[in-house]
Amino acid sequence: MLDVISPSDPLPLKSQLPAYIRARGLIAARLQDSGRGTRVFDLSEAGGYRLKFPHANPCEAMIVNTGGGMAGGDHLVLSLSLGPQAVAVCSTQSAEKIYRAERDRAEIAVTLTLDDAADLAWLPQETILFDGAQLHRQLSVDMAANATFMACETVVFGRSAMGETIREAHLSDHWDIRRNGRLVFAERLRLSGDMQALLDRRTVGAGARAIATMLYVAPDAEARLDEARTVLAVDDSAPVEWGASAWNGLLCIRGISPEASALRRQTAQFLNRFRSSPLPRVWQC
Amino acid sequence: MIHPASLPLLVWLSPSFPVGAFAFSHGLEWAVEAGDIHDAETARLWLSDLLQHGSGYSDCCTVALAWQAATDHDPERLRALAELTCAMQPTSERRLEATMQGQAFMLAALSAWSRPALETLKPALADGVTYPVALGLVAASHEIPLEQTVSAFALSFVSNLVSALVRLGPLGQTDGQRVIAALLPLIETVSHEATRATLADLGSCAFRSDIASMRHETQYTRLFRS
Repeated sequence: MLDVISPSDPLPLKSQLPAYIRARGLIAARLQDSGRGTRVFDLSEAGGYRLKFPHANPCEAMIVNTGGGMAGGDHLVLSLSLGPQAVAVCSTQSAEKIYRAERDRAEIAVTLTLDDAADLAWLPQETILFDGAQLHRQLSVDMAANATFMACETVVFGRSAMGETIREAHLSDHWDIRRNGRLVFAERLRLSGDMQALLDRRTVGAGARAIATMLYVAPDAEARLDEARTVLAVDDSAPVEWGASAWNGLLCIRGISPEASALRRQTAQFLNRFRSSPLPRVWQC
Repeated sequence: MIHPASLPLLVWLSPSFPVGAFAFSHGLEWAVEAGDIHDAETARLWLSDLLQHGSGYSDCCTVALAWQAATDHDPERLRALAELTCAMQPTSERRLEATMQGQAFMLAALSAWSRPALETLKPALADGVTYPVALGLVAASHEIPLEQTVSAFALSFVSNLVSALVRLGPLGQTDGQRVIAALLPLIETVSHEATRATLADLGSCAFRSDIASMRHETQYTRLFRS
């Protein structure tokens, strides 16, 4: 197995820890409209994860992983529920790094519940997969018919700016979006094996090293397709390939790029123009 | 020799069966426009990616899972699979492609190829059905073996797309046949794997195939509905 160990492996010690001290992160919170903005109720945090609220109006919920990244066997379970009319944007303090897994995969389970007319933007910073990373992620959303949900997830395959390559790795990313109890959108992303070779294939990425998926589910989602396409076409200088489609009360956008930084910049530009409120500060750099 | 029990597959998956397969290109019309597919080799590579890493593989697994659920007489599993595979369609046009063909296939099967098991299970698909779920159900209700059902589906997936490419121009008739012949070993491997699929096997990473379908929506001149 020597051939799969890269000399730049960042955290060999952490990934060799026995299973019983692997991180078990937990965040659970209820956000409710207090009449003077959305406030947090019933917050629980465990296992090195914190939820900070740096900005009150609109309510910003910022996920902090004090452990700095995830290794094989680490788990995070996060649930946020928004009461009627609650408005919030949730992001992460930093990009989430997924390190080499010796045995077990890292797992992230996110459950989001949106009551009547609630409005949540789920905008974590990018997830960076290191060589040997194994990640399974599940995003489950249960929303009322008149709620508004925006999500953006970016995955970066190795830090190519630092000359790293990603060979053996695994990513499965599942999204189940239910509106009014009906499954309206399911993502089943599955990338396994030699990621670089896979991403070089024309049908997969044609050399992409970063991918972004944005989903907007709202009563006006289909009506905003032309606007979304116009905004995506504003900056065609960077090497990012975009596509957008709308159906079934939702708008889905996919972007890929060989340059993670270009994809991040354009994603931020899109979100700034398409959404009515500014992005959290962590996105501004 | 083809087992007599499997002969209906040749009918159901032939281009003359009324599901409207000729109207859909699965995003290939954009891939041709963009220059990603321009000859037999680029066509073969694109289709082999779909079979290994994209919708081709996932749809083969779906046929197998639907066949299993129908063979086990499990309407709830069938309903959940139909719901999931409808929701998994990555674009508006791909959803149309999957559900229109699924509905048309169910309609034709119920009118001309009905079976008691099919009648019993059809209410499970009342809220929508994708083409591979419909095929898996109908084949199981006619007691057609699983492996033959899946490999016949995989072959028709490839030959429908090759037929679209021939109409779009980058392939001649003979090159089209060469592409199908070259993909036959992969079709066998993939369908064999798919017969052992679980729900965890559904999925894709063919991002540029999805983006091609999105881009097709605004393509200036179009022969196809997807």
